[in-house]
Amino acid sequence: MGSAGSYGVGTGNSGAYMTEIAEPVRFEDEIRSLIQARFDAPPVSGGSFTALLGLSANQAVGLLHEPGAGEVSASAAASSPTGLGHPLGWSPTFPSNAGLAERAGSFPVFAAVDSPASSSDGGPSPPLKAEPSDSDSSPPLPVPIDKPRRRPAKRKDCEKQKAKGPAKKMKTAEEHTEGDQLPYVHVRARRGQATDSHSLAERITGTALVLDEIINHVQSLQRQVEFLSMRLAAVNPTIDFGGLDSFLMAECGPLAASNGRGEVALDPVSWSSDPAPGTGLRTDLRPSQQSSTAWVYPYALINHGTSLFGYGAANSVPLNSNQSKTDL
Amino acid sequence: MQATKSFERAFLKHLLRGFRLSAVSYKSMSLQERKSAIKLSADVAMASARGSRKWTRGLITKLSKEDDHRSFLRLILGTEYERLTKPCHGSWKIPRSKKIVRRSLRVCSRRKNNLRAPHGVKSSVLARTLVEKRTHALKRLVPGGESLDGYSLLDEALDYVISLRAQVDLMQKLLTTFEASKLSALSKCTLPERKASFVGEAGIHQQKLTEKAQLRPKLTL
Repeated sequence: MGSAGSYGVGTGNSGAYMTEIAEPVRFEDEIRSLIQARFDAPPVSGGSFTALLGLSANQAVGLLHEPGAGEVSASAAASSPTGLGHPLGWSPTFPSNAGLAERAGSFPVFAAVDSPASSSDGGPSPPLKAEPSDSDSSPPLPVPIDKPRRRPAKRKDCEKQKAKGPAKKMKTAEEHTEGDQLPYVHVRARRGQATDSHSLAERITGTALVLDEIINHVQSLQRQVEFLSMRLAAVNPTIDFGGLDSFLMAECGPLAASNGRGEVALDPVSWSSDPAPGTGLRTDLRPSQQSSTAWVYPYALINHGTSLFGYGAANSVPLNSNQSKTDL
Repeated sequence: MQATKSFERAFLKHLLRGFRLSAVSYKSMSLQERKSAIKLSADVAMASARGSRKWTRGLITKLSKEDDHRSFLRLILGTEYERLTKPCHGSWKIPRSKKIVRRSLRVCSRRKNNLRAPHGVKSSVLARTLVEKRTHALKRLVPGGESLDGYSLLDEALDYVISLRAQVDLMQKLLTTFEASKLSALSKCTLPERKASFVGEAGIHQQKLTEKAQLRPKLTL
């Protein structure tokens, strides 16, 4: 499973619930959405992933202590139960609105103020960081941490700044994240990032969840089929399938005509695509012209149960063979 | 994603044909035997109505492993049986150049080693095992899934789920219809009462039905 294109939606959404990385790249959009939506604390329920993340949280914090990437560590540590101390003095609990306002101003990753001080990424990074800071520093309002759909894009961005040097990649990452305003993000791993362990782990865990879901669904459907077939078998002794089937397939056109009996072209299971009105039923009973009303389920059958079958079977056996030819 | 009407109709047609074929010995069968016969008919109907997909072929192959089912299958499917059971082009081996494979393996292993070095914890390995376990489980569930690639496995699983849903739906409707007819046969109630009970059971379809019935002459037998 190389490219993550097809798993993008699933992994993007599910992986995001497990990490609380705040990405204030799009403050304006988020503020707007915040006005509509409530500000919920993100769930710290992504057990497996936060465990994975927590295991290497110390290393991550160490890595991220290089200026330019402290933001990821902050939120990761906020979510992990260990509650690491932050270099930037943020509280380990989930920050309140005021806290976010502070953070918005003081993001080392995205604040242009710090970029001269940071020496990690060199030249290309200040303009890169200046770009998002234009958008985010202007309204210093509290923003929701979890915009789960945008997280993967921003997280990728952050990770690139954390782990990878080359400016070229970061520029493309930045353009990419600013460019897509889709409701969901396709998690497309770029060069050198497909095998980066954090994104890989997140993607793989998301895939595992989706697969789990599919497996459960298939199992439940198969069990239902078993159960239903058992019930059909239980109901069976009273219904003679041989007679029933031939009776159904005959469509009772000639039978009805000869007996003056009105069979209703029933559609108890709405298989037939044309809901013919009651008056048009006589025409419906001529099956050869219309393939859509192939299954006429006689109302008489339902009324009188098995008493019809012997009669139906005897008369309709020759009709049955004709019928099957025309139907098939 | 929806199962098409034509699929459902073909499904029902094959199902009833299968019931008819297997119904010769219904009186003498036990419950278990009847249940397995019904299930067999249902599965074969589903596979033959769907046409030619990897999972349908796998399912029919699996069902024809038992000899007594084989004749049944042949009857139902007719010419399609032979076409469906012969190995499809999907099982052809993709011709691979050894040199290229070796080179790519070397590159992959080198990349993995480079990236694994800084991280002491093999979290990716754990995550990978999760996916592998589930993939194997899914392969076992989907018929014919053992030989499928990751992507095609998901594709087939999706198709299989849609067909299974249609199967369950159809069997449920059949069941309600049969039970209704059984009840009415046993109770010998009058026509309007039967209509009323029927309406109660299956909702809108029955309403359509009763409307039609009212326009018809009374049923006499």
